[in-house]
Amino acid sequence: MINIYEAIDANKRKSAIVIIAFVIFITLTTYVFSQAFGAYYGYKTGGLGLVGIAFIISGLMSIGSYYFSDKIVLAISGAKPADRKKDYIFYTVVENLSIASGLPKPRAYVIEDTAPNAFATGRDPEHAVVCVTRGLLDKLIRTELEGVIAHELSHIKHYDIRLAGIVTVLVGLVALLGDWFLRASWMGRRSKNKRSNQLDALFMILGLLFALLAPIIAKFIQLAISRRREFMADAGAIAITRQPQGLISALEKISADKEPLEVANKATAHFYIVSPFKDRAHGALNRFSGLFNTHPPVTERIKILNNMA
Amino acid sequence: MTYILIGIALILVFWIISTYNFFVSAKARIKAAVQEIGNQLKRQADLIPNLESSAKGYLKHEKGIFKDLTSARKAIDKAVKSGDVQKMADAGSQFSQILPKLQVLVESNPEIKGSGVVTKLMDELRDTSDKVMYSRRLVIDLTADFNVKRARVPSNIIASMFKFEELPGLITPEKGEHTSVSSKDVKTPKVNL
Repeated sequence: MINIYEAIDANKRKSAIVIIAFVIFITLTTYVFSQAFGAYYGYKTGGLGLVGIAFIISGLMSIGSYYFSDKIVLAISGAKPADRKKDYIFYTVVENLSIASGLPKPRAYVIEDTAPNAFATGRDPEHAVVCVTRGLLDKLIRTELEGVIAHELSHIKHYDIRLAGIVTVLVGLVALLGDWFLRASWMGRRSKNKRSNQLDALFMILGLLFALLAPIIAKFIQLAISRRREFMADAGAIAITRQPQGLISALEKISADKEPLEVANKATAHFYIVSPFKDRAHGALNRFSGLFNTHPPVTERIKILNNMA
Repeated sequence: MTYILIGIALILVFWIISTYNFFVSAKARIKAAVQEIGNQLKRQADLIPNLESSAKGYLKHEKGIFKDLTSARKAIDKAVKSGDVQKMADAGSQFSQILPKLQVLVESNPEIKGSGVVTKLMDELRDTSDKVMYSRRLVIDLTADFNVKRARVPSNIIASMFKFEELPGLITPEKGEHTSVSSKDVKTPKVNL
């Protein structure tokens, strides 16, 4: 039994640890790559350099998806604005909970899909969007819907969409550098001013190792951050509604539903309250495959929520 | 060495400014949140006449409900004019007591249940009392943040330096029936259907 404030504090701490680990890992990786490139080409670090170029390219690739995330995701999923008359409960729940959390009211959208799910997006609270499927509105009662919307609102409140955007840029940076390094060593074009010493040899090997492993590790940490933020949003939701039972039974209903969400794809999966892909693996395999998941298992989330109840 | 000292001093100044700013802006936000309660109660008071007139035809024989609605609205009007948060909150709770009565009425009367108009009335009533409840929640949460930061080390130094007093938030009597449990409350309620 932990109280809600302790839960939120613990979540913030753990989340900060994962993010710091991520930053350290990214720094280390870029350092190794720049040294390895140096060993290869006699390339001098300083100025903009290869790392800078990779950062800009990776940033440009993500900036659009970050800045226009609300519009892009809504367009892909075919969401329509919610109508106060027709979607009365959804519309008013969004209104009420944004009063409670002190956020400006996000725009409310509905996807005409019978699979129950929900997500939030937008770069800051002023541009936030909360989106639910028709199936969710049909299957949940008001208290359960409040739990789900409160979860999405705490994603918005914690700037989780911004964090995810930044993390994506950095993961892209590592992937680019790794890719370039592998290509360079395949081409086997070495510089003329060879400065062969032991340190260079070490960085060459490290570079190769990092080129192969770093993108995967970066991706794992990214997913760990994503899962950590889900726990945070769950705790934040309870801080708003004070009714863990609502979110618990909503999660149960959503995860019990076998229907896959057609409009979701890998790129948008991490936005949803429950992963739109249903996992089938069990036991040890499940634990391993858990590393690849954008969301923690629903059973674990419910266990933690029960502790708060 | 001097650079390090200057660096530490800069960090310290930055921390003092940001902590001070937290207290000032939290205070302003709490004030706004209190006004939001008034705003929601005003909305509630404006909403009731409309709801009354739309449901009147279906509730002809239920004069009691209308009396309750009207007196609740008057109480809210009066409280909003007085500008006292506490009075406003009390008036709002009077209002949410009507809801269960309506519920009983609808359940026992299939004709009313079928019409949809009264269901709509109940939806609106629940929504407006939720809105008032959640606007109170914001005051409670913001005040708690303020008071926690005010009491905690090291930000309590800044709080006492600039004399930030503890804020009351939503005033609830700290002694009385609701803080104790009587032997009657301990028994599990029986539900007879």
